[in-house]
Amino acid sequence: MTHEAGRQRGKTAPGRMRRRDFLAHTGKAGAALAAIAGTNWLTGQAPAFAQERTLHVLEWSSFVAPADVERGRQAAEFGKQAGVKVTVEHINANDLPARATAAIEGGTGPDILQLLSNYPLLYSAGLDDHNDLIAELGGDEIYPFIREAVRDENGVHRGVPNFFGGGANVYRKDIFEEVGIAGPPATWDEYLEAGKKLKHYGMPVGQSLGHTFGDAPGFAYTLLWCFGGKEVDEGGRVALNSKETANAVDFLKEFWLAACDEGGLAWDDTSNNRAFLAETIAVTLNGASIYFVARNDPRKVAPGFADRLGHFLIPEGPHGRYHGVGPFTNCITRYSANKEAARDYIRFVHQDDNFEKFLVINKGYVNGPLPKWQEHPMWEEDPAVTIYRELPQYGRNLGYAGPYNRQSSEAFAKYIIVDLFAKAVRGDSTQSVIESAERELKAIYEA
Amino acid sequence: MQAYVGETFFKRLIVFYIPLFLFVAVMLFPFYWMFITSIKPDFELYNVRRSPFIVSQATLEHWFYLFKETMFARWAWNTLWIATASTAISLFAGILAGYSLSRLRFPGSATFGISIFITYLVPPTLLFIPLASVIANLRLLDSPWALILTYPTILVPFSAWLLMGYFKTIPRELEECARIDGATRLQAMTKIILPLGMPGILSAGIFSFTLSWNEFLYALVFISSPQQKTIPVGVVSELMKGDVFFWGSLMAGALLGSIPVAFVYSFFVENYVSGMTGAVKG
Amino acid sequence: MKSTTPPISTVSSNTLEATARLPLGKRIGQWLENEAVLGYVLMVPALLLIVVFIAYPFSLGVWMSLTDKVVGTPGNFVGLANFAKLLRSEIFHQAAWNTVIFTIAATVIKAVFGMWLAILLNRKFRLARFTRATVLLPFIVPTVLSGLAWLWMFDATFSVFNWVLKWLWQMEISVFGLALKENWGYVRGPLWLGSPSLAMFSIILVNAWRGLPFFAISFLAGLQTVPPELYDAGNIDGTNEFQKFWHITLPLVKPIAVVVTVFSFVVTFSDFQVVYILTRGGPHNSTHLFATLAYQLGMTSGNLGEGAAAALFMFPILGLVILWQLFYLRREDSGG
Repeated sequence: MTHEAGRQRGKTAPGRMRRRDFLAHTGKAGAALAAIAGTNWLTGQAPAFAQERTLHVLEWSSFVAPADVERGRQAAEFGKQAGVKVTVEHINANDLPARATAAIEGGTGPDILQLLSNYPLLYSAGLDDHNDLIAELGGDEIYPFIREAVRDENGVHRGVPNFFGGGANVYRKDIFEEVGIAGPPATWDEYLEAGKKLKHYGMPVGQSLGHTFGDAPGFAYTLLWCFGGKEVDEGGRVALNSKETANAVDFLKEFWLAACDEGGLAWDDTSNNRAFLAETIAVTLNGASIYFVARNDPRKVAPGFADRLGHFLIPEGPHGRYHGVGPFTNCITRYSANKEAARDYIRFVHQDDNFEKFLVINKGYVNGPLPKWQEHPMWEEDPAVTIYRELPQYGRNLGYAGPYNRQSSEAFAKYIIVDLFAKAVRGDSTQSVIESAERELKAIYEA
Repeated sequence: MQAYVGETFFKRLIVFYIPLFLFVAVMLFPFYWMFITSIKPDFELYNVRRSPFIVSQATLEHWFYLFKETMFARWAWNTLWIATASTAISLFAGILAGYSLSRLRFPGSATFGISIFITYLVPPTLLFIPLASVIANLRLLDSPWALILTYPTILVPFSAWLLMGYFKTIPRELEECARIDGATRLQAMTKIILPLGMPGILSAGIFSFTLSWNEFLYALVFISSPQQKTIPVGVVSELMKGDVFFWGSLMAGALLGSIPVAFVYSFFVENYVSGMTGAVKG
Repeated sequence: MKSTTPPISTVSSNTLEATARLPLGKRIGQWLENEAVLGYVLMVPALLLIVVFIAYPFSLGVWMSLTDKVVGTPGNFVGLANFAKLLRSEIFHQAAWNTVIFTIAATVIKAVFGMWLAILLNRKFRLARFTRATVLLPFIVPTVLSGLAWLWMFDATFSVFNWVLKWLWQMEISVFGLALKENWGYVRGPLWLGSPSLAMFSIILVNAWRGLPFFAISFLAGLQTVPPELYDAGNIDGTNEFQKFWHITLPLVKPIAVVVTVFSFVVTFSDFQVVYILTRGGPHNSTHLFATLAYQLGMTSGNLGEGAAAALFMFPILGLVILWQLFYLRREDSGG
């Protein structure tokens, strides 16, 4: 068994090995305990690294359940072709970063980590160089707002963006009609007027401002940009404290009280889905997953519910229209012992035929990494979701307008922009919330 | 125990029955809620216009989901094995240390006593970040041994403290008689102190088992693959997901994850109290 | 305590020489007859665990907190920069405050209500055993699992509490002859986890709910050590229930009360699970505690140095508590 432990140690990347071995040898109990570790006979388990090659992929658990099934199918197919046993594990997206930290620090765990947003830059020290692979899988054709989010300051790509999601406003056409709203609002001011009527009716706008990965930042950042506010300027200097930011904050203060479900302060990414399907809200910013469930899961909704749904883009603000997009990036870990198989797996899921199946099964919930996927006939099939293919035109990633970097993911992970708005809607003064967010941002960017 | 003779029924009602009933109701309501949620079909669960107290079409689908679509049975087994093993280790170390500190006199014993006491006040939340790298260096990440070996650090100080107190209540003379009859110190310990200290040992054991069964942070950070997870981590990471979470199955899992410890306690609660009583007296 | 055992013995060179000639098993047996040797040997398993899994990681944590370590890098020594950075951070100030309020409120609630419950449980009544086992339930089930039940009961849209409140509200409307509205309109009820003060209330409530049985059962153990004769004496003197509690019961259960309260203080102060499940620190950090902030900094934003520093901030306060209790116990020892 010590032999096995030794073998495993031998697999570590050379750069990390010295310190690691040093610790393992000096730590008195190290050797003895390592021997116990291999001895899994007590649990009746064979050591995991026995004969066959394995590939462990950690992914988020999709809001479109069949997407996970399709991923599993493709993984199994790849496994058969390549003679590798592939395990795809799906967990709550909020837990992905912590798992990545533990895996990279420990130097053991999944071979491929699916990371959201700019997280590949936060973990760049623990991720492999993907420059060749990304060049092979689209290179410069990949949308810049997702490609740049994986390129670190040395120009090394730390992953390959697989797809991205983003929100449009899903709304109840019937309720809009009933309360006398002419059509989907085109500007934030129109949205405010519509929202007032909806809230008066009892089915307000539902929006999360809680500590959660997708909806809350997707809304908060986008609103900021529409009003011309920015976390950092083009040079990466903190530029939050501006009249534009103040306008965005003031707008949301009014919008929140007049139009929104105030429960949103405690919502996570799933809450608005539940609330919408339970018919307590009439509109919410979301991926196409609500529509997907309404259309495909008759047990959860009343008959004909899906026909009453429509989507509209984020309204235009004084500085135009933006959409915060959430890239999902496959990142091979540096410690992985199966890098070649991992690369093959990524190539496999990026193959046109495989990606097409994945795209189609998501029915508008995801966008492809390359502009060509916008042309896919799938987008025309159901007019309700066609609008989602326009997201790339307005797409920006967290950290806009500055260069995407690990600081922007840190600001994201600490919910600085989300909390800026959350504090404001609770009643704190606009200037004080901006100033405190600015201080936190400076501590991150200018440390 | 007080008898309270001559108390009128009305007074009894006000000072005893009603407060006790309220306590029990508050303590148990979440469990009732777990149960009722776990047997509601989705369309009743996610409907705000129905009374949440009424289940019109009870279903076991969430319970089946738990066993068919997740590795719940496996997690239960892992949790049981990890809790049992770490309890055994803790009791072993705790009994020895408790005996040593309460019965034997040697230079530095006071210092040892204090240092054990201090470690019992160092919480896991303070240690988990560096401990993760220790575990990684020992090649124990994602192995049940990561938990079996680290849980005792939370348990040993408390067990040792409790047993120390309990052992002190056992008269020294009993041990000395055995020694005069020719028993060695170790024999005196195993033949006299262990049997007489059983209530205390049982208390420490129950306490340790519960804490290991419930532990979350270490299991969250040190364990990654689905087949190695414990119940708390498995339920949270594999059922709190998807577009609406699997609330029915979450509650079924919560209930099932609670039953084994509840079972253990229902047998030993009096023992637990008397064990604690012993420790306190000492 | 008077003792008849010989004074502290040390290993003399004579015994060493004498034992050297015996076979190994016997030699070890003889060695273990030495009180000091046996004392040390029996300490070994506990000490080994403590050194490897507490003392060593603790010192590693101290080292980490002095570096700018981010995930995957070794990190450079930066002195006290992390601590300074935290002390300037408003989020950290808030977390510190939150922890203080959370700990004090939850501990007081648990102690007061725990004592009350213990007194109730200390009476003779049918099903006493069963009731004791039942009220213990919240303490023994995994916190995250019962936390999930609370999360569902506090849900912004599906809260059962809010349903009941709304139902009562609607009852009132119909009772007062107002039109019964088909649509309940925009009434969501309290934002249990959405408004900062209520969210704090909610996490305190859940923590207290969970910890109360531990207090109750430990106090019960304490109450059972109180000799009933003392109360009889009280009865003769004509004291009322409260006076009896204050002058007879409380002093006698004080030792266990101190130990239990300190233990609970430590556990509550370093709580992670309740917040992790219910709010993840939100809304806008109004429920972050030291432990959850450390987790957010270290685990989810990858700043292990800063996370370790945030966790270490707990230590001075816990250290004071430890010192106080050691002092207290020693005084009790010499006094009694």
